[in-house]
Amino acid sequence: MTSRNDDLAAQSGAYALNTLTEEERAAFEAYLAESDEIRTETTELSDTAAVLGMAIDPVTPPPALKANLMAMIAHTPQLPREVETVDDAATTSATVTPLADAAILWTEPSAESHTAQQSAQTSASPAETKAQARWFARPATALAAVAAAVALIVAGGVVADSIGRTSLQETSFVAQQADQLASINAASDSQRLVSTVAGGATATFMWSGQLGASVVIVDGLEQLPAHQVYELWYIDSAGARPAGLMYASENGTTWRVLEGEMAPGDGVGVTIEPEGGSDTPTTEPIVVFESA
Amino acid sequence: MLVGMSREADVSAHPEEPGAPASTPQDLLERVAAGGQAAFSELYDQFAPRVFGLVKRLLRDHSQSEEVTQEVFLEIWQTATRFDAEKGAAVSWILTMAHRRSVDRVRSSQSSRDRDVRIGIRDHHPDYDHVSETIEIRLEHERVEKAMCRLTELQRQAVSLAYYGGYSHSEVATMLSLPIGTVKTRLRDGMIRLRDEMGVAS
Repeated sequence: MTSRNDDLAAQSGAYALNTLTEEERAAFEAYLAESDEIRTETTELSDTAAVLGMAIDPVTPPPALKANLMAMIAHTPQLPREVETVDDAATTSATVTPLADAAILWTEPSAESHTAQQSAQTSASPAETKAQARWFARPATALAAVAAAVALIVAGGVVADSIGRTSLQETSFVAQQADQLASINAASDSQRLVSTVAGGATATFMWSGQLGASVVIVDGLEQLPAHQVYELWYIDSAGARPAGLMYASENGTTWRVLEGEMAPGDGVGVTIEPEGGSDTPTTEPIVVFESA
Repeated sequence: MLVGMSREADVSAHPEEPGAPASTPQDLLERVAAGGQAAFSELYDQFAPRVFGLVKRLLRDHSQSEEVTQEVFLEIWQTATRFDAEKGAAVSWILTMAHRRSVDRVRSSQSSRDRDVRIGIRDHHPDYDHVSETIEIRLEHERVEKAMCRLTELQRQAVSLAYYGGYSHSEVATMLSLPIGTVKTRLRDGMIRLRDEMGVAS
């Protein structure tokens, strides 16, 4: 056993008591897979910690908490049983249920290069074609239809797949994002819009006004060259605020919980920006959603 | 266009047995994993006071404790499919999740914690004074208290601060003026001693 492993082995108590940092926790969990002995010890110490928890006086939570939860679980997907192979996970993650029959395409204004897209789309309003210069200053363009938040994306599949493929540090980010995605999905006021992006990708925008949070999910988003990145924007009458960068996933479904708080009526747009992102959009959006 | 399975289909594929009497937590988790909402309801009734008590102990703030308790149960719903009885008891699984979620929440609101660490150790053992109404809980108290008495002073302080205070190992190190490595070692040998004293083995 190396001294590094000795160090790790000595952390079983710290792990069971949740005193490790996220990085240490992840490193320890990776190590657990290698050592039966430490895994057994850690299980026992976790059980021991649980006994410490059993000595705390129970407190009955308010009844509303249960009512909320029962409503939430009715709309919250569960993780698939096991992630056996990458292929399985990819299949699951691609199981997105598009809801809106009335999905309307984003109208790319200078659209010679998007003939196919145009032929498939419903007509653009005259107002839409007016103010091209600052698309983000007029969130009422490029409408997508509101669909009832009834059926659900299979969030669990996305989560499991992402976690299986990313580095340890990314995992906590992904896990955090997955939590947020699940909360938005589960929120009682959760709403979604579905639209089609150039190239045939399907984009879903899901948000909760109560949480002030939203997520963009794109099925079949094109990979960009290394010097470009997808950037998300919250849009209000004052303009567009950066809301995070997004990289196309290799296996079908790309999703990103937006950074920052969503105000009521905010629209959302996605543009292609130079590597690192921009402070204001420098290109026309590939898709725009209006939540109001 | 891809079409997903509807939730209705999921549920009907795994009909629930509402009449099943006196289910163990493990049975309930298995039914929850199959999409059983009635089983979830029963599991909640069994564990919500445990979870809420633990979370509140760590967070103190009532509304934050409600939020975290909700997160814990939502996570139970979402991840029941991954519960593996061979890797530990259902009770441990649930309480570990509750403790971890609480600790994560505590650390994300760090400012008040920094003050606690500077001021020093507060009272971080379970509420032995509050005589509880059930024999089961009194027995758990006694079991833990008795085992805690077998630890060295440092082990006991480190374990208490970590579990009941929700402090990180570096915070515990600051509070006890010990090197971090020593704290980790005390946490491990302290927990091993508790395990042996309380007869916890898998």
